[in-house]
Amino acid sequence: MRRDWHDLLGGVAMVATGLFVSIYSQLHYDIGSLRQMGPGFFPVTLGGILAVLGLAIALPAWRRSGTARPLALPEMLAILAAIAVFGFGLQTLGIVVATAIAVVLASLPAPRPGWIWRCVLAVAVTALTWLVFKHGLRMTMPVWPEFPG
Amino acid sequence: MTAFDGLMHGFSVAMRPDVLIYCVLGVVLGTFIGVLPGIGAMAAISLLLPITYYISPEAALIMLGGVYYGAQYGGAVASILLRLPGTPQSAVTTLDGYPMARQGRAGVALFASMISSFLGSMIGIAVLIGLAGWLSNAATSFGAADYAAMMVLGLVAASTIGSKSPVKAFAMVVLGLILGCVGTDVNSGVQRLTFGQTELLDGINLVALAMGLFGVAEIIGNVRAAEREGSPPHVSLRQLLPTRDDLRRLPGPIVRGGALGALFGALPGTGSTISSFLSYALERRVSRRPERFGEGAIEGVAGPEAANNSAAISAFVPTLTLGIPGDPIMALMLGALVIHGIQPGPLMLDARPDMFWGLVVSFGIGNLILLVLNLPLIGIWVSMLRIPFRWLYPAIVVFVCLGVYSVRGSSYDIAAVAVIGAAGYLLAVARFNPALLLLGFVLGPLIETNLRRAMLIGRGDPMIFLTRPISAVFVAATVALITAAIWGALRKRREGLGQR
Repeated sequence: MRRDWHDLLGGVAMVATGLFVSIYSQLHYDIGSLRQMGPGFFPVTLGGILAVLGLAIALPAWRRSGTARPLALPEMLAILAAIAVFGFGLQTLGIVVATAIAVVLASLPAPRPGWIWRCVLAVAVTALTWLVFKHGLRMTMPVWPEFPG
Repeated sequence: MTAFDGLMHGFSVAMRPDVLIYCVLGVVLGTFIGVLPGIGAMAAISLLLPITYYISPEAALIMLGGVYYGAQYGGAVASILLRLPGTPQSAVTTLDGYPMARQGRAGVALFASMISSFLGSMIGIAVLIGLAGWLSNAATSFGAADYAAMMVLGLVAASTIGSKSPVKAFAMVVLGLILGCVGTDVNSGVQRLTFGQTELLDGINLVALAMGLFGVAEIIGNVRAAEREGSPPHVSLRQLLPTRDDLRRLPGPIVRGGALGALFGALPGTGSTISSFLSYALERRVSRRPERFGEGAIEGVAGPEAANNSAAISAFVPTLTLGIPGDPIMALMLGALVIHGIQPGPLMLDARPDMFWGLVVSFGIGNLILLVLNLPLIGIWVSMLRIPFRWLYPAIVVFVCLGVYSVRGSSYDIAAVAVIGAAGYLLAVARFNPALLLLGFVLGPLIETNLRRAMLIGRGDPMIFLTRPISAVFVAATVALITAAIWGALRKRREGLGQR
């Protein structure tokens, strides 16, 4: 099928976001008048504009072929997982374990096989992180995992 | 305050030990980031935003400014040696810088780019001093309608000028404006679009947004792309020495590029990237032998490098005197000031002379440091190019998380970075420019406040935007830009149909 999928999906996403914001704001916030604009005026108008722009992006893309750009899915998942583990683990695992896991996770999609460099990197970054953020900047957060009792 | 008094006052601020340290830190870190392909000035400034909470506002602004122009010095190194632009602003430098390197003249190209960057910055500083006083005086007569119209013009200009798809660019701006609405409405106290999340009461965290869009999203896209194994040539100090013929060719492009950059940097919507491309085109036009361009013409390095540095400095004119950032990087600078409770505007020159003049003098000092540091240290910067991206990006991911966490000790903000980073990467893949989203985000609340005020003053009649001469000019310019964009799109479409 000859379609510009990037613009088509992007445009549809804009239409959906715009319509949602506009309708949600219309239902929940006071629009006011032109003279005394309420809190709803700006989001309702902007949502409408975004929906129209989204249409203007998606419609021409339906009848046009585009060059597809590959999605770096493994990279995206690995890095998001690293951030998630770090964010949720910081308070329970402590900065040392959380950093080490996050670095190894983030390094997984790198185009170089082998575990040795990944582990060396994890140790180095963990040491640097502890030195800068805990020792240097004295941020308050646990260093090691905290076991109950 | 005369310019002379101002500069003296600025020296007393910029030479304070703490400020000087952050200035040096900014320019060195900026060069480092600029040298490394894969992360640009936006990512670097986003990463450093949390630090600005802990230091004085003038030191914060001076450091972030240093990162910006330092990255332009560094960006040229990767452009010349590897044909990989370290930053978008130095992309055009590859056109003649890389051929020079292939001819064994890498050192001369680096020398030309550094000296042009330095002299271009000096031109930018002179224009900043000249324009800022004049514009602050003029801006004291600006009303709410004028401000609102000017900001809308800025957003339209940023999305139409030099953009391949103005519609997509403008959609990003509008999305940014919507995200700027999130949080407690200042006028009514109503919580807008927070969906019951107490963490969103103060709005979306600028640091999380910037880090997600420019830290995480750029890393995801570059894990593979930045891993090309290039081996940069060795550059010794002696190779930096230009010939007499090179020296004779430099002054013209530097002066023209510097002037061009200073002009376009101060205008809304056109920044240092566009300035560097325009300067290249100009040099080719005025050259008596344009066929040399693309094959190692030193003018093709000197002009654009002078232009992008000059533009980086004159971009501070509207940001500091009107409180209106002309490009996304300036939006981040403004965000850093707002973090400190400082709202730049026409009164800032008189109310906070330490801020303005300290910054002006720090530009001079920072550029001098870059020149005297980078020329002898060029070998170190070149060896930085050999660091593979895979050693760096996992560390950056951790630093992003800790940086966001340090702002208010919230794991919620780290999760927000992940969500924003994923969205930002998907947008970038679909060729939507997330930088414009940030511009809309920062300007959104300002536009809304001024728009509401203007409509109140105008008793609900939108004609107020046309009856005030200043705002009428801005509205006319906005309409002209939109018309030009639509006309351009229609013409492109007709040509496309004709080819079929």
